[in-house]
Amino acid sequence: MTPTHNSASKKTDVLQGTLALMVLKTLDVLGPLHGYGLARRIEQISGDLLAVNQGTLYPVLLKLEQEGAIESEWGASENNRRARFYNLTKTGRKALQSETQDWQQTAAIIARFFEIKSEDLP
Amino acid sequence: MSTNLFRNFRRFLNRLTNSASRAVDTDREARLREEIAEHIALQTQDNLRAGLDPIEARRQAMLKFGGVESMKEDYRDERAFPWFEHLLHDIRFALRMLYKNPGFTVVAVVTLALGIGANAAIFSVVRGVLLRPLVNRDEARLLYLCQSAPDSSDVNFSVPEIDDLTAHLKSIQAIGTLSPLDFTVVGLGDARTLTAGVVDGTYFDVVGLHPVLGRLIGPGDDGPKAPGVAVLTYKFWSTTLHSDPSVIGKTIRLGSFNGTRSATVIGVLQPSVPYPVETEIIANIVTSPHHLSATMVTGRMHRMTEVFARLAPSATLESARAELGTTYAAMRSAHSEDYKAEKGYRFTVTRIHDQINSRANTVLWVLLAASGLLFLIACSNVANLFLARTVRREPELALRAALGASTGALRRSLLAEAIVLCGAGLLAGIVIAAPMVGVLSRYASRFSVRAADLALDSSMLWIGVALAFVATIFLAFIPRLPSNNSQAFAVSSSGSRVTLGSRRRLRLFAVTQIAACFLLLAGAGALLRTLFVLENSQPPFDTARVLAINLPVMTDGRTPEQITTFYRDVRRRVASLPGVEKVSGAMIVPWRDALSFNLQMQFAIDGAPKDDGKDDPRARFRFISPEYFSTMGIPFLEGRDFNDNDRPGSEDVVIITEALAKQLFPGQDALNHKLHWTDPLLKFSGMNPGPRRIVGIVPDFDDTGIVPEPSMTIYQPSDQEGFSGRLFVRAKGDPYALIPVLTSEIHHMSDNQPVERASTLDDVRAEIMAPDRLNAIVFGGFATLALLISIVGVAGVLAFSVSGRIHEFGIRLALGASPRNILSGVLSEGFVIALIGVTVGTAAGFALVRVIAKYTAELQIPGATPLIAAAGVILAAALVASAIPAIRAASVDAARALRSE
Repeated sequence: MTPTHNSASKKTDVLQGTLALMVLKTLDVLGPLHGYGLARRIEQISGDLLAVNQGTLYPVLLKLEQEGAIESEWGASENNRRARFYNLTKTGRKALQSETQDWQQTAAIIARFFEIKSEDLP
Repeated sequence: MSTNLFRNFRRFLNRLTNSASRAVDTDREARLREEIAEHIALQTQDNLRAGLDPIEARRQAMLKFGGVESMKEDYRDERAFPWFEHLLHDIRFALRMLYKNPGFTVVAVVTLALGIGANAAIFSVVRGVLLRPLVNRDEARLLYLCQSAPDSSDVNFSVPEIDDLTAHLKSIQAIGTLSPLDFTVVGLGDARTLTAGVVDGTYFDVVGLHPVLGRLIGPGDDGPKAPGVAVLTYKFWSTTLHSDPSVIGKTIRLGSFNGTRSATVIGVLQPSVPYPVETEIIANIVTSPHHLSATMVTGRMHRMTEVFARLAPSATLESARAELGTTYAAMRSAHSEDYKAEKGYRFTVTRIHDQINSRANTVLWVLLAASGLLFLIACSNVANLFLARTVRREPELALRAALGASTGALRRSLLAEAIVLCGAGLLAGIVIAAPMVGVLSRYASRFSVRAADLALDSSMLWIGVALAFVATIFLAFIPRLPSNNSQAFAVSSSGSRVTLGSRRRLRLFAVTQIAACFLLLAGAGALLRTLFVLENSQPPFDTARVLAINLPVMTDGRTPEQITTFYRDVRRRVASLPGVEKVSGAMIVPWRDALSFNLQMQFAIDGAPKDDGKDDPRARFRFISPEYFSTMGIPFLEGRDFNDNDRPGSEDVVIITEALAKQLFPGQDALNHKLHWTDPLLKFSGMNPGPRRIVGIVPDFDDTGIVPEPSMTIYQPSDQEGFSGRLFVRAKGDPYALIPVLTSEIHHMSDNQPVERASTLDDVRAEIMAPDRLNAIVFGGFATLALLISIVGVAGVLAFSVSGRIHEFGIRLALGASPRNILSGVLSEGFVIALIGVTVGTAAGFALVRVIAKYTAELQIPGATPLIAAAGVILAAALVASAIPAIRAASVDAARALRSE
C-alpha cells in the first residue's frame, strides 16, 4: 500500500507548476541539458527554490516528457559518463509561449492588486 | 487552452500505456536509478571542487537531492495511474476474499440482483408506456376534449354540442371527431365484429397520422352523398389480414345497429396508439346510417362522439382551456334544462399524451415507488451485511492503517469489494429483468394500449448500471474506517469488539428495511384482501354450465321482423341439439358486457303520486328472451316468464327484480302494477313511453359486479321491443364441447353470421377478476421478496450483535444468568427492531398517502385488517429471524467465552 505522503505532495503540487515553467524556459534559453545541469541553472536563477530536494525535479521532467513538451536521449556528461539529456520540443515551445503569456497576465493582475490603496476604491 | 488539453490528453495516454506494460516499468526504474546516480555524482564533483572532503562532498550531495524514496514514489505516481492499478489489485484481492465467503457473497449478489433487476424492468416499462413520445405529428399540440358526469355513462359529446363548442374558436386550428361503434364486417375473410370508428374528414389531419398504404379519409369523404370508404388500422391489417396489400380497393359491407352500407377500403393507417378505443377499422360517417339520422344530428343528449383538437400556432394549452371553458359555460347556460347542476357535468381539455397515460400513470408510478422501496431494502440489507463484515475486519483494517495505509487505500479496498458485488448483482439483475419486463408489460397493457408494443432496449441496461453505481458508492462509503484515534484501541482488542456507532448504523438499516417492507406488505395485503373477497363471492346462481355466445345482429338486407325471427329460430334449433338443456337470448352478457353498459334510466309507476321534490327512480333495463331465467338457473318468485305471445302489438310487459318490487311496493304485491319509462334518453332508444305491466318477479341478479349487490333491474322481452345479439346455452355436459356443433348449426342457417367469444359465465367472471389477480400477484410478489430480504437483514443484524457480545454473555452466564434470560434478551432485541420498523413504516405510510392524495383522488387507504396482518407477519418473521442468533447466544459456553479474551 502507498504510504501516506499527503502534506509532502501538496507542497510539490504548488512547486511543480512553477518548476515546470522554469524547466521549459531554461531549456529554451540554454538548449539540451541533463537533470543535474537543469537543477544547477534553476538554482542559480531562482535562488533557493531547489537548494534542497533537487530530486523533485525528476517527476516534473517525467510529466513534461509524457505531455510531449520535452524529449530526452542519452548523452555524455562532463565527467564522461552516460547522462540523460532533455531538449525542448515544438509542442514545448508553444506551451512555453502560451504559459509565459498566462503567467505575465496573472502577474500583471496581481501586481495591480498590490498597488491598490483604500482611497483608490470608490 | 487547446494545447493544454492536447498535452493533458497525451500525458493521459502515456500513463495509460505505461499502466499496461511491465517492460516499460522496469526500463523506467532503471533509467531513474541511473539519472539519480549521475545527478549525485555530478553534485559530489562540484562539492569536491568547492573544497569539501570526499565524504562530506557526497553527504552534502545526498542531502541536497532530498528523499530518494519519496521522490521515486512521486515519479511512479506520475508515470501511470497507481490508484487505478492498486484498485485492480484490490479487486483481485476482493474476488479471493469473496470466494472464501460464499454465503455472504451469494446473499449479497442475489439481493442486489433483485433490487437492480426489478427497478430496471419497471423503469423500462414506465419509460415505454409513459415517457415515450407518440407518433402523432407534433403531439404536444394535439388535445382531447372530454365531457363527463360522475354517475352517468354518457360521457363525451353530441353533434349539437360539438357545433356549439367549436364554432369560431381562435385557439384551436381544427377539430376532428371520431364515434366509436362496432361494425359487423363482411368481405374481409370470415364475417366478424370489428371495433370501429366513424370519423369526419378532418380527423386524420388533426391527429396527425399518415397512411402506410393508400390514402386516409379526407374532407372529400364528408357528407351524406359521399361514397363509403374505410381505412384499416395497422395491427388489424398486419395480423388478421397478414399485411395483404391487395385489400386496397376491396368493397366490404359494414353493418351497424341501424343498417348496413358498402364501403371501399382505401388505405392502411400507420402504427399508432388507438384512442379511446382499440379501433380495427375506421370509416367515414356515411357508412353508419345512425350517424346521419335526426336522432344523432339533433339530439343534444345523444352523446356518442369523441373530439380531438389541434392547437392554433399562436395558442397555448392554457389559452385553449380558457377559451373552450368559456364557450362551454355559454353553451350550458343557453341550454340550462339539459345540464342540470346535480348531474355534475365536467368539461376538461387535456393533451392527448396525458389523456392516454391518465390511467397508467398512477399505477406505474406506484409500482416504480414499490420497486424503489425494494431497491432501498436490498441496498440496506447488503450494506448491513457489508458493514457487519467490515466491522469484523476492523482489526485487519486497523493493522493496515498502522502499517501506513492511507484512508484512501483502505476505502479503495472496500470499494473493490463493492464493485465486485454490485457488478455481479448487475449482471444477474439484467438477466432477471428481461423476463420481468414481459410480465410487467402484460400487466401494464390493462391500463395503456402503449404497453403492447413494448420492447427491451438499452435504457434498461443504463438504469441497471446507474443503480449498481449508486449501490457501489453506498456500500463503499457507509462503513466507517478506523480513524487515527481508534487505531490503538482496535489493534489492542483481540477481535470483534464493535463500536457503538457501527451498531447504531446497523440497527438503522434494519429499521429502514422493516419499515419499507411493512409498507409493501400492507399494500399487498389490501390487494390480496380485495382479491379474496372477489374470489370467494359466488355467482348468485349456478352459472358454471352456461355458455355465453356473441351472435352480432346482421342487419344487412333484413327487416326487424326477420331479425327477430332469425334469433327465435336459432334458439329453437339450438335447443333441439343433443346435450343442450336450455337456450335463451339477451342483449348483453352478464359481467362482460354489463360493466360497460351501466346505464340506468328513470321510470315511474302508473297511478303513483308524483313527488315533485324528487327525481323519478332509476333502474337498469335488460332485453331478454323467454327462458332466460331458467337458463341462468334463477327461479321465479312470483308471476310468469315471458313467452312467445309477448310480441310486438300485444300488451307490453316487464319482469322486475325483488329489490325493485320491495322498494316500489313495500308491503304490497307488485304484480300487475304498471310502469313507464320517463327518462330523457328514452327518445334515443326507440322504446315507447307507454305503460308496461309487471308480470313476474325474480330474485336480484346483479350482472354488473362480481360481488352481488341488490339489483334494480327491469327486464323487457326482446322479441317485443328491443335488441338481441347474445345467446345463452345451459349444457348438460361439458359446455365447450357444444361450441363446434352450435357454430355449424348457426352457419347452416346463415353462413355470414359471426359466432364469437363463446365462453362459460364462470370463465367470464374469471376474466373480469384477472386484473385483480394480476395486481395481487405483482404486489404480493414484491412484498414477498421484500419480506425475505428483510428477514435475512434482521437475522444478520442480530447474528452480528450476538457474535460481538459472546464475551458479555459468557460473563453473565458465569454470574448465574440462565440461558433463557439471554435467549429472551436477544429475541426481544429483534422484536424491538421490528416494532420500531413497523411504527416508522406506519408513519411513513400515512405521510405518503397524504402526499399522493394531493395528486390523485383514486387512492384507497387500506383498512385496518391488512395493516394488522402485515404488522403481525413482520413481527413473526422478526422472531423467526432472531431465533437462530438467540439460540446461539444462549448456548454460549461461559468458560470458553471468558478464556477467548
